[in-house]
Amino acid sequence: MQREVAATRDFSRRSLTRLLRDYGIAIALLVEIILFAQFSPYFLTAENLVNITLQVSITAIIAVGMTFVILTAGIDLSVGALVALSGVIATSFLKSVGSFPVALMIAMLGGLGVGALAGFIAGVFITRFNITPFIVTLAIMTISRGIAFMYTDGRPIWDLPPEFAFLGSGRVAGIPIPTLAMMFVYGIAYVVLNQTRFGRYVYAVGGNKEAARLSGINTNSVILWVYVISGVLAALSGILLSSRMNSGQPNAGVMYELDVIAAVVVGGTSLFGGRGSIIGTFLGAMLIGILRNGLNLVNVNSYVQMVVLGVVILLAVMLDQLKKRS
Amino acid sequence: MNRKTFLLLFLIGIVAFSCGRKEEQKSTKTIGVSLLTRAHVFYKDLEEGLRTEAAKDGYELIVTAGEFDLGKQSAQIEDFITRKVDAIIVCPVDSRGIGPAIRKANEAKIPVFTADIASQEGDVVCHVASDNVAGGRLAGEYLAKLLNGKGNVAIIDQPTVTSVLDRVQGFKEAIAKFPDIKIVADVNGEGVRDRAMQAASDVLQAHPDLQGIFGINDDSALGSLDAVQQFHREGVNIIGYDAIPPAADAIMKGTALKADVIQYPKKIGETTVAKIKEYFSGTSLPKVVPVEVGIVDKEALQKTAAK
Repeated sequence: MQREVAATRDFSRRSLTRLLRDYGIAIALLVEIILFAQFSPYFLTAENLVNITLQVSITAIIAVGMTFVILTAGIDLSVGALVALSGVIATSFLKSVGSFPVALMIAMLGGLGVGALAGFIAGVFITRFNITPFIVTLAIMTISRGIAFMYTDGRPIWDLPPEFAFLGSGRVAGIPIPTLAMMFVYGIAYVVLNQTRFGRYVYAVGGNKEAARLSGINTNSVILWVYVISGVLAALSGILLSSRMNSGQPNAGVMYELDVIAAVVVGGTSLFGGRGSIIGTFLGAMLIGILRNGLNLVNVNSYVQMVVLGVVILLAVMLDQLKKRS
Repeated sequence: MNRKTFLLLFLIGIVAFSCGRKEEQKSTKTIGVSLLTRAHVFYKDLEEGLRTEAAKDGYELIVTAGEFDLGKQSAQIEDFITRKVDAIIVCPVDSRGIGPAIRKANEAKIPVFTADIASQEGDVVCHVASDNVAGGRLAGEYLAKLLNGKGNVAIIDQPTVTSVLDRVQGFKEAIAKFPDIKIVADVNGEGVRDRAMQAASDVLQAHPDLQGIFGINDDSALGSLDAVQQFHREGVNIIGYDAIPPAADAIMKGTALKADVIQYPKKIGETTVAKIKEYFSGTSLPKVVPVEVGIVDKEALQKTAAK
């Protein structure tokens, strides 16, 4: 009898750890939603749900690129600065090049192009000169931020054609366009990571670069592409954000890299590469986005918010360690 | 051999010549400046004020900026000490952290002045800054008048900056005089437009009956305006701070942004150099020199535009 109870207890403890291990983030997200719904009557309103997806979309889109990068055991610190740089490039093109539909195309190309170029340069330095991604992207970060300030002389670019606002503030069937863009990017990324050769290579390079190289994968090309993807997606976010703000802000996106890395890591992607998922990243981004939104909704002091955010990141990483051990 | 000697003499000549030039320049006063940043309109105007006033007296300015990096700013001040400038102006990146650098200047007997942001440590001859408490009070009074003394208001804050704490203190003092106005939220928008927009979006969701927002700077006010427009909210009045061009434009266009407290950064710059001049001539100075602030709404802006 005694022994039986002990056995059940042991079993339930083990199944609890397993539950936490496999569905940890999803459970945490659920608990978070239930808690905030209890504390604020406005949390689960349609408008606030729109608000949340709108806010999350910016970091969540960047987090897709960051997931690719981190899966290869890299890191990209330049994304926040690229949000600013692509935003000011796109908005300035919008103002100076021709009439609206053409100008928008050129602005988009310019903004995305600058993101791709920054990613390409980072990739070249990482693969050809064998410098660690941390240092390369740190340098790209300060260079990009510096260029954004130089280019704008430190002032925002504003007084844009009103049609531009539609990109960030417009809705299709009640869903904001940035939210749709986020869903689109996640759909594509899911297919690329899970169904294509390139996706498998990304995992392989991160899991064991040497083994990947010996089995005939062009690891340098995979790594180069991953940074280009990250740069382009940061730029896409930057353009959407500048449309929401109806201006190009050289000081936008400060510290976004940390929010994004946190989302990816909370989502269960290992900083050592080779392990993680795009769905995890989505849940991670939602967890952090909802946390910020909910704490503001219940009017939690902003100093306390910083502490809470840090604790959540620590707990998530601890969960990740738990997963690795078992 | 001959050629080598010639080259050597030539080099010595150059060195001697350039040394001589430096001595010559030393006869005018040199002021080392380390701004908080050069990326902000406010500091550009402040710098302009410094330059205008310095030009009047033929002072040489060496202008640098810490760009929010304490280490960088401390190094800039140490450079000024090495170059033996006649005075130093700092807009500290960190009011406490700048202490050691200022103390080093004190030891070298170089007078230190602060502009816009004060230092908590070290000997500063004189601090020149906008009266931020008065500015917050103006914002609160104007908002109260718009709301006819009744309603719910929020603050889009940046509680990690001293001058902002003063603004918020003044705002709260003014609002406290109206028992029917409630401050229902005070959230951190980090003083930048993207973060402020998100914070304001959250506040709008949490308070469907919000009538007023105080943005502690224009990025905060404009971010709030973005949020109000994206969620199509009527009846929200926003008050900003600084009246940078996009904010002035939004006020003129009759958006939810109704008025802005204005500082006179150029005046802060001019006053700082003027105080240094007084110091050089031996006048004793007060520890703090407040520079006036004002408030502008659509009417006031139209008047100045008409001029």
